[in-house]
Amino acid sequence: MLTITDLSVNYGAVQALSGVSIEVPKGEVTAVIGANGAGKSTLMRTLSGLVRPGSGGATAGGVTITGRKPEDIVRLGVSLVPEGRSTIPELTVEENLRLGGLWRDKAGRNSTHAQVFDLFPVLAQRRKMRADTLSGGERQQLAIGRALMSDPRVLLLDEPSLGLAPLIVTQILELVSRLASESDLAVLLVEQNAVTALRVATTGVVLNLGKVVMIGSGAEIASDEQLRHAYLGY
Amino acid sequence: MMNLLRLPGARFLSHLAIVFVIWAALMRINDGIDPLMSYYLALAAMYATAMFGMVILVGLSGQVSLGNGALMAIGGYVFALTSLNWQTVPIVGWQWNPIWSMIFAGFGGIAVGLLIGWIGARLRGPYLAGLTLGIAVGIPAIATRFPEIFGGETGLMLTVPYPAGGYAPAVEPVPVDETPLAEAPLEQAPLDEVPTEQAPLEQAPLDAETAGAGDMLTADNFPSAESSPAAGDMLTADNFPSAESSPSALALPSDAGLPSDIDPIAGGDALLAGSAFVLERWQASLAVTAACIIGFLALNLVRGRQGRMWRAVRDDEVAAAVSGISPAGSKISAFVVSSFFAAIAGAVFAQILSYVGPGAFGLGLSLSLLVGVVLGGRASLGGAIIGGVLLVALPQLVFNIAGGRGWPANVTDNAPNLVYGLLVVLVVLIAPGGILGSLKDGTRRLLAKSRTAP
Amino acid sequence: MTTFIDYLLGGLGSGAIIALMALALVLIWRSTRVVNFAQVGQAMFTTFIALSIQTWTGSWYIALIGALAAGAVLGVIVQYLVLRPVKRNDTSGAIIATFGVLIALQAAAGMIWPGGGQAYPQPFNNSGIEFAGRVWPISIYDFVVIGITALLVLGLTLLFTKTSLGLSMRAAAFNPEVARLSGVRVSRVLTFGWALAGSVGAVAGVLVAPVSTISPNSFDILLVFAFTAAVIGGLDSLIGAISIGVFTGLVISLVSGYSDSGNAPVVALLLLALNLILKPEGLFSHHKARSV
Repeated sequence: MLTITDLSVNYGAVQALSGVSIEVPKGEVTAVIGANGAGKSTLMRTLSGLVRPGSGGATAGGVTITGRKPEDIVRLGVSLVPEGRSTIPELTVEENLRLGGLWRDKAGRNSTHAQVFDLFPVLAQRRKMRADTLSGGERQQLAIGRALMSDPRVLLLDEPSLGLAPLIVTQILELVSRLASESDLAVLLVEQNAVTALRVATTGVVLNLGKVVMIGSGAEIASDEQLRHAYLGY
Repeated sequence: MMNLLRLPGARFLSHLAIVFVIWAALMRINDGIDPLMSYYLALAAMYATAMFGMVILVGLSGQVSLGNGALMAIGGYVFALTSLNWQTVPIVGWQWNPIWSMIFAGFGGIAVGLLIGWIGARLRGPYLAGLTLGIAVGIPAIATRFPEIFGGETGLMLTVPYPAGGYAPAVEPVPVDETPLAEAPLEQAPLDEVPTEQAPLEQAPLDAETAGAGDMLTADNFPSAESSPAAGDMLTADNFPSAESSPSALALPSDAGLPSDIDPIAGGDALLAGSAFVLERWQASLAVTAACIIGFLALNLVRGRQGRMWRAVRDDEVAAAVSGISPAGSKISAFVVSSFFAAIAGAVFAQILSYVGPGAFGLGLSLSLLVGVVLGGRASLGGAIIGGVLLVALPQLVFNIAGGRGWPANVTDNAPNLVYGLLVVLVVLIAPGGILGSLKDGTRRLLAKSRTAP
Repeated sequence: MTTFIDYLLGGLGSGAIIALMALALVLIWRSTRVVNFAQVGQAMFTTFIALSIQTWTGSWYIALIGALAAGAVLGVIVQYLVLRPVKRNDTSGAIIATFGVLIALQAAAGMIWPGGGQAYPQPFNNSGIEFAGRVWPISIYDFVVIGITALLVLGLTLLFTKTSLGLSMRAAAFNPEVARLSGVRVSRVLTFGWALAGSVGAVAGVLVAPVSTISPNSFDILLVFAFTAAVIGGLDSLIGAISIGVFTGLVISLVSGYSDSGNAPVVALLLLALNLILKPEGLFSHHKARSV
């Protein structure tokens, strides 16, 4: 569904990504893992349109997305849940969600809205409250919910576990995994917490200093001790 | 030779040498040019003095401030008030001298600059700009609020002590104008033989009530704004209308209608048949000297440690703080320095015009200063000089072009400001370094190309 | 006591106008984090345009609508000129650019409409209303001004809270990146914000015009008052702009009544300074304005 081909991105003199190629199929979770500074966030920001690539590109469902503006990429079915919660605290839960679907027609928006509330019942409970009254885990759910409001075919998740308790992280990631298989969604998950990520992911991509070091199944990577020591820190 | 440069104080001496050479060159040029050009030189130097401060404040320290016009007002008014009222503070034997008044003006600037800096240094961009906007409008308003002290809307007239054997104060117009101004000199004690430093003040007996009234012209004796300028005065309140009636926001003296039919030489030394003194040359020498002194101070600050600290705080406050520089202290120091410079410029302004009034120091002046540094190049002292020249030259250029084509008055009056406004926007969009910045970039690129060429 | 109330009543009309201008400043600040010092120059320019329209058509209403339209167009133009330094993160440059626009607008107005102060026709009776045996310091015109202001405020509130466009604008103001990632066309929304602010300022200009003569510089003092009100209210608070705007009008009326009208700018300056020392982010705001 999402095909990344030979993607290279540099910030001035710093080469953040070099020749990254990843295939993200529908209905599964693909996890990108690696140490800090490996280029994971850069990958996400480039795919969502916040950063322009130096060379190479990515397509979603056959349509090129790199080099486009974020608001156009969303309309092509690729939604990013950025790092760090990314909800707008001054708006209510309801408004945050509506924001995600503003560009759509009313009917589609309303139906997805209902689905999101089914998925995240706590959001339905707190719909009229300001987003800054939510706990960390609830805000992450809201962020994901907002991304889902645009009815994406590709969901990008940038470090959803940051600052959350392990139990919550597991809940959220398992929910995402379920979502992927049930809605035939292609999920690209970027995580520093490799253990949890690999548990829900079908495929794991290890990134180091901007390059792909290994692609394999979660089990393969988890069992490769040398690899884990070298790139994943455990 | 290179080792010599590393000697402590070497930089100081090199700056001294540079400034001295410039000063000497300008003084020499001043002697040779038309008095009108000397007048323009005086204005440009005066603007440059204030703009050195703007470069430090806006360019190096990154604080956009509209307050320097008001600070010039502070300097000008302190100069005027201390000059007029010297006798009322009886410190035995302390003779008045314009230098003293200028020093006091400088202190006034420092004090107010400290206050504004203290409030403003902790504020971010637009808040500071707005606060200084309020100051630019508010301080001239204070002058009109207390007419007894500050001379109100019409301001205060000064008599300026020119060098010995020079121009006697208390203007006597060459043509016999029936303006009230012509009567004023009669109230003066005879002044010709008295050494000019003490001239006006020692003569007339003064007590606290009449100080300033009988001796020098104040608002009481000063003709109202509508009367015609006396021949000897280059500019009067007429050319500095208050903000509401001015056709342009920037009431620059050089475009305020210097009557082209006034012969500056004849007007300037009306009482001095046969003297070689020319008013404009004196004005220029005063302004240039002040500018060079201030410029020297600025040069040392900008190219020294202080300059580096200012830039560091501007570029990254957090990094600077971590390196041990106090951001607030740095911003306040920039304010204080620029206020001092502005106050000195204001004192020079007062002496060139022989006048201070709220209209001369209004919002328009603050905007002109900002325009000048932005166009000239905000972060370099050379930019201040270019800005000063620009502020004087551009209106003249426009008038010359317009005069030839017979455009109506409202077009020619406003054309310079329109050009300024558009240029400022253009510069910010395309060439943030101003004229000087673009020149530097251009030369750098040329040099780089020539180096890489085979 | 009657005098006090009289002064308050007298200040309502100007308070409404200051509130509108402060509102315009806040609208732009919320969308692009720029204080548009040229706002008042835009209002001056559109008021001159309205004057020309009125002279030509004879209708105050048509002139008002013309000013609204001109305000929107001018707002978009100014936004285009000012926005690039903002994108470069050059806040000093953006501020300087708005002053450049202000200077240029004042000069252009002086060129296009020569002749110093011009009188703007009074559309409604501006003398005190007689009621219960005395003449009150408030006129029909004042009520019209207050009424139009209230309508505008109501309209804007509905826009922001009930419509999708309003939600986009708020989101774009709070977090442009998240808004873009949600599919909001942020640059279009920003342009609309500037156009809206331009129109609001234009209305303020037309409303204040009949009270005195208009000239390129006559609105300068309004800039100081409006900015003061906006900052004290909190630059990102619409409620703050309106309430403190009205409050400022009342204060000015009191100051002018009890002392001298010339003291008003000084009082405004003092209030501003006080606010910046004590609570620079404003009374109704959430964010911080101090860096150190």
